Amino acid sequence: MAVIGVGQTAHRSRHDDKTYPELVQQAVVLALEDAGLHPDQIDAVVFSMAQTTFMGVHDADKWAVDYAWARGKPFMRVNSGGASGGSALQAAHDHVASGQYGTVLVVGADRITETPDAQFVLNLIWDPMYEQQVALNTVTMTALAAQRYMHKYGTTEQQYARVVVRARRNAMNNPSAHLKGLIDVDAVMASPRIAWPHKLFDICPRSAGAAAIVLSREDLARERCARPAFINGVAGMSNTVFMGDRMGLQADSDFADFCGLPLAAAECYRQAGITDPMREIQVAEIYDAFSSFHFPQLESLGFCARGTAQYLSDDGEFDLCGQLAVNPSGGTLCSHPIGVTGLVRVAEAARQVMHRAGAMQVPSVRNALATAAGGSSQFFTVTLLGDEPRRHGSAARLSNLSPTRY
Amino acid sequence: MDVYVMGVAVHPAADAIRDLRLEELAYTTARAALDDARLTRDHIDHVTLACCDEIDARGISSMLLASPSGAYLKDENRVTDSGLTGLHLGALRAASGHLGLGLVVSWSQSSVGPLENIARMRAEPFYSRPIGLNFAITEGFLAGAVATQFGITEVEVAERVCYRLSAAAKNERSLQRARTSPDDIGASPLLAWPLRVGHRPPVTDGAAAIVLASGEWVRTHPESRPLARIAGIEWAVDSHALSGERLAGFQVFHDTLRRLLSRAGLAGVNDFDLIEYEAQTAWADIAIERALDAGPGVTLNPSGGAWSQNPFFCRGLVNAVEATLQVSGRAGTNQIAGARCALVHGSCGFAQQGHGFMALESVH
Repeated sequence: MAVIGVGQTAHRSRHDDKTYPELVQQAVVLALEDAGLHPDQIDAVVFSMAQTTFMGVHDADKWAVDYAWARGKPFMRVNSGGASGGSALQAAHDHVASGQYGTVLVVGADRITETPDAQFVLNLIWDPMYEQQVALNTVTMTALAAQRYMHKYGTTEQQYARVVVRARRNAMNNPSAHLKGLIDVDAVMASPRIAWPHKLFDICPRSAGAAAIVLSREDLARERCARPAFINGVAGMSNTVFMGDRMGLQADSDFADFCGLPLAAAECYRQAGITDPMREIQVAEIYDAFSSFHFPQLESLGFCARGTAQYLSDDGEFDLCGQLAVNPSGGTLCSHPIGVTGLVRVAEAARQVMHRAGAMQVPSVRNALATAAGGSSQFFTVTLLGDEPRRHGSAARLSNLSPTRY
Repeated sequence: MDVYVMGVAVHPAADAIRDLRLEELAYTTARAALDDARLTRDHIDHVTLACCDEIDARGISSMLLASPSGAYLKDENRVTDSGLTGLHLGALRAASGHLGLGLVVSWSQSSVGPLENIARMRAEPFYSRPIGLNFAITEGFLAGAVATQFGITEVEVAERVCYRLSAAAKNERSLQRARTSPDDIGASPLLAWPLRVGHRPPVTDGAAAIVLASGEWVRTHPESRPLARIAGIEWAVDSHALSGERLAGFQVFHDTLRRLLSRAGLAGVNDFDLIEYEAQTAWADIAIERALDAGPGVTLNPSGGAWSQNPFFCRGLVNAVEATLQVSGRAGTNQIAGARCALVHGSCGFAQQGHGFMALESVH
């Protein structure tokens, strides 16, 4: 199966000119136009939406049904927090891979700034008995992981700052990006301290925006699209919520290293026949809500050894002209409508494979990868898109995956 | 569909489960389903959760519930529509060719949270929320619409409640409630015309879990013991608008059922031995019965339906468990002799905005 159309709105602080379902509809129209399809040609709809507490409408997805032309069609909402977009794509993939449906629309929208304090809302995602009480939110949670990573691998704040500089520079080519601009390391270092080592510029914006993707069965995709982005691998992985259970000698995995992600990547690569990611994959659109997400994620995806991504980054190997173009769109550091961010990553990766990325286009892309992360860095999805179907054996899944102990 | 049910479990019915945390409720139910399948967590490669953040009073419910549900270091996904929607996604995943054996887990513990307050926050903020829309009012709209459409009377509705309670009394997995009379039901307080308090099954706490396997997994594990084959699944959503046309027309219900029958290779609903359907009021119960138009050979809601237990979010998945027990000959005190083919129905959203179906057939 393949992606044959994508659409996304501009991502910005507010869309006060539109209601939530109107925002959804804008993305649907763009995706259908990109795919050259009429709404009647959509067989089923998967809706991507994370926690509804930002906007305060619990049935936001059902509210959007008529605007997405979903009435009378199979419709389900997927929610895995920040990983929702990746999980929704995975669910849509299963709609088609099962043989049940030929063409599926994945769509979602988010409006984070409807709440005056997103981090207060995000504190409520944790266990009410223990972790809520220590004022944990996504900024402090990821700061703790970054501290642990820095301790293990000697990473500096300046190395994280270089990630931000690259992201903002890449986003200059992305008309949908929320944050963009030519800044330098000093500007990042001078931005207000939020939670050590995070400074304001190390942290994603709170965005409002929508995205949609159209998937089709391979035969339909070839009929409808000159250069589809074939889905050659898709996998997800869930870890324990408790960060303390991901530390120490008895832990199966390490909180600093995103250790659920290598398991998802291994399964995705197995399906896609990828054996040397750095050589075979040209673009990675990774979910980097914080600059500190970059290095452990690229290492978990097998692009380099543990503790080395920071040096490759310093050397420009993740720039647009480097060994691997990481987030040509600017990534999550530049736009973060949480409920669809994972879907945006897939959309941007697909556009690279389809050669429809405009000024963001990386030359000669054959394989592009997208990730999403959610919860307490516990949910991960990995999607591998290619210019030709390269799906390898299906049944021999790595059924009892074991994490590497660290 | 080349997907099989390998094991099922429902948490023992209870109005309120106060001795377990939500995590423990999910864990015990998931574990019971694996035990029923004679499998362990090591055997499964994926988990599908169906739960509602707002009912669970968690920002992202699956953060805390995924691991207790068996998803620790497994491929896990989650839907928020209903327990039966989780089963639909679980079946698609098992049929996708890249996953083999999985768990579907869903729960509902609304005794700790005011369901109607959650319902009010479901409404969109411009029109329906200011008028105080909630489940009772939307079910009242539905009741009024189907009363006109199908000519349903209050007397019939009261008698239907007694009939369902009587069926539930024969179900060993049901809450055993005091007998009541049509007169008592007719005299219960008016909630949202024409809906009375006595017309609604009490909402209870509960959980359900089902182990699913792809056909390939079953064939490569000849020692395995499937309970039933999923012959087909279909579901669809209706307009968000609570128009009379939507409420009384049952168009999406009919269209979706027709697609389900086609997928399952069945001629009509009379091919089923039983149908377990979800109705959150006796008005809806009678309306669905009329919409199904099944013959006398089809037993409707032998479990007692929502009157046996009514964990609101996962009621449809409980229906799937009950139907599996029937076609595998393990339903116990309410077993229908020779049951081989069952239809499962569930709904979601305000006044049944969404309908889902699954056809199950015996493998014995």
